[in-house]
Amino acid sequence: MAGIYIYSDKKDIVAELINFAKESEKEACVITFKQEDAEAIKDFGAEKIYVLKGSSQVPENYGKAVAELLKKQDADLFAVGATARGRDIAARTAGYLDCGMVSDVSSLSYREGTVISQRMMYGGTVIQSEELKGLCVVTVPAGKFEAAVGGETVEIITIDVEADSRVRLIETAPVLREGTDITAVDTVICVGQGLDKKEDLQLAQGLADVLGAEIGCTRGIAEERKWLPVERYIGISGAVIKPKLYISMGVSGQVQHVVGIRDSKVIVAVDLNEKAPIFRAADYGIVGNMYEIIPLLTEALKNA
Amino acid sequence: MSYIIACYKWVVDEADIRINPDLSIDTKKSKGKISDYDKNAIEAAVQAANILGGKSLGLTFGGPETRLSLKDALSRGPAEGCWISTGEAAKADAAVTAKALAAAIQKISDVSLVFCAEGASDTYARQTAPRIGAILDWPVVTSVSKLDIEGSTLTAVRKLDDCLQTVKVDLPAVVSVLPEINDAPIPGLKAVLAAGKKPVTEIKAEELGIDFSPKTDVTEIKGYLMNRKNIILSEGEAADKVKELAAYLRKEGVL
Ligand SMILES: Cc1cc2nc3c(=O)[nH]c(=O)nc-3n(C[C@H](O)[C@H](O)[C@H](O)COP(=O)(O)OP(=O)(O)OC[C@H]3O[C@@H](n4cnc5c(N)ncnc54)[C@H](O)[C@@H]3O)c2cc1C
Repeated sequence: MAGIYIYSDKKDIVAELINFAKESEKEACVITFKQEDAEAIKDFGAEKIYVLKGSSQVPENYGKAVAELLKKQDADLFAVGATARGRDIAARTAGYLDCGMVSDVSSLSYREGTVISQRMMYGGTVIQSEELKGLCVVTVPAGKFEAAVGGETVEIITIDVEADSRVRLIETAPVLREGTDITAVDTVICVGQGLDKKEDLQLAQGLADVLGAEIGCTRGIAEERKWLPVERYIGISGAVIKPKLYISMGVSGQVQHVVGIRDSKVIVAVDLNEKAPIFRAADYGIVGNMYEIIPLLTEALKNA
Repeated sequence: MSYIIACYKWVVDEADIRINPDLSIDTKKSKGKISDYDKNAIEAAVQAANILGGKSLGLTFGGPETRLSLKDALSRGPAEGCWISTGEAAKADAAVTAKALAAAIQKISDVSLVFCAEGASDTYARQTAPRIGAILDWPVVTSVSKLDIEGSTLTAVRKLDDCLQTVKVDLPAVVSVLPEINDAPIPGLKAVLAAGKKPVTEIKAEELGIDFSPKTDVTEIKGYLMNRKNIILSEGEAADKVKELAAYLRKEGVL
């Protein structure tokens, strides 16, 4: 049966996409791959929950089975939470269906058989609007819609399917999050690759202590140098923050990073290079060596 | 000898895009570049070819401007280049791109491994690897931060939002790698000179016999304008600049 089909490995996004389906006046049909995952979302108010049962523990391996279900049910749209798993299964499904797909939409609506979406291009330099007709796929980041208020699910339907068994799961190691949510604080000190060595994070910590701030960073500091946990990096592939005050040190300000700080109230940059793009994104800036500037700033703000 | 393919994209450098006052965008001044993270995919293919005793090949799809990319790509290590040339690439969406790449992979035929990057610098849609896998009906492994190859089995560590997942897959397969998989070297002069002598095949897109109509309809492209105060203190003593900044921040009431 037609409807908006939904998948996410994050329960919160499932609830948001159910609401999106309801706003679009379509049936919300959620796809899961385990009975327990279906049970966990049973009172979110979806019209239907499918459990696709197969031999693989990896949801991405069900792309072909999902494509077949969507075709058979004459689905209107496949809306998927934009996480690593979600993007993979979404694009595989689109590949099997040979249909259009819009990744990581910044806005989304569905009207009379047409998907209307916006997304960022060129790292956030450009906003592109797109329309798609007929069965297609979108991935949607968390927080784009209010969560559905809930209610009984009408039906849980279990279907035996064939999974792609060629990719075999050997082991899973949970990534422990340290718990700090840099999207929720008023002040963020952001360190970039201008920092010479890990010990110099002390410099940022000193300023953070004075301002009651949390430390964030650019992608390279977290992913390549591994000096800070990944949940602290800011940008198009990391966290999007809206603090009252953001202060960068040694951050060049490439657009992929700046996208993550655009809605900050006040943006301050300290960088050696006068031409660094971060200054074009900043309210206030100091051109100078952060090893000199940051201790002075820490001192000056102590009595603020 | 089988081929290890790195798919890469020649893109407009986003740093060179100018936004006009009416928010239309101007890419005329932009020089092309190899999409940043594709450099890591190319390096992964070169390394895998060494292990597997295969031949590394850089594969790209695009209009006439893409010709410029081949020497750059080949200076990064691949033994051969292949360019699917078209006049229509500018309108190609992810569906068209993946179909063109998959068709070329089929044409090259003896392929044991296809690498893509996490996503392209321009679209960052992260669709290409899974789509190619689906079209070829090959296994796909995405978000790979570490990989080992033994015999014809690939072991990969995938970085997902909540865990690190180790998976095994027998080749052939399509793999998308994260940039931290390796350090993509900056090519030296010798590598640049050698690149000019490496074999390049051009496949005309029309010869692949695929449907080039995009599935998505782009209705508007609009630049994003950052409106900030841009008060930049560049002259004078450090202590004075800091004092001035502190005064501004007090006035803003954000301390
Ligand atoms: C598809 C894609 C997605 C991406 N996603 C993200 C993302 O989500 N987040 C992200 O951050 N990046 C992302 N990036 C990477 C991004 O393009 C930049 O490469 C990155 O943000 C640069 O990090 P950086 O500013 O720390 O380092 P650099 O660009 O190396 O800048 C270092 C800066 O430090 C300055 N400096 C050096 N020494 C000093 C000193 N003593 N005092 C003061 N200043 C000094 C330099 O002048 C320079 O401006 C992405 C890239 C791509 C292609």
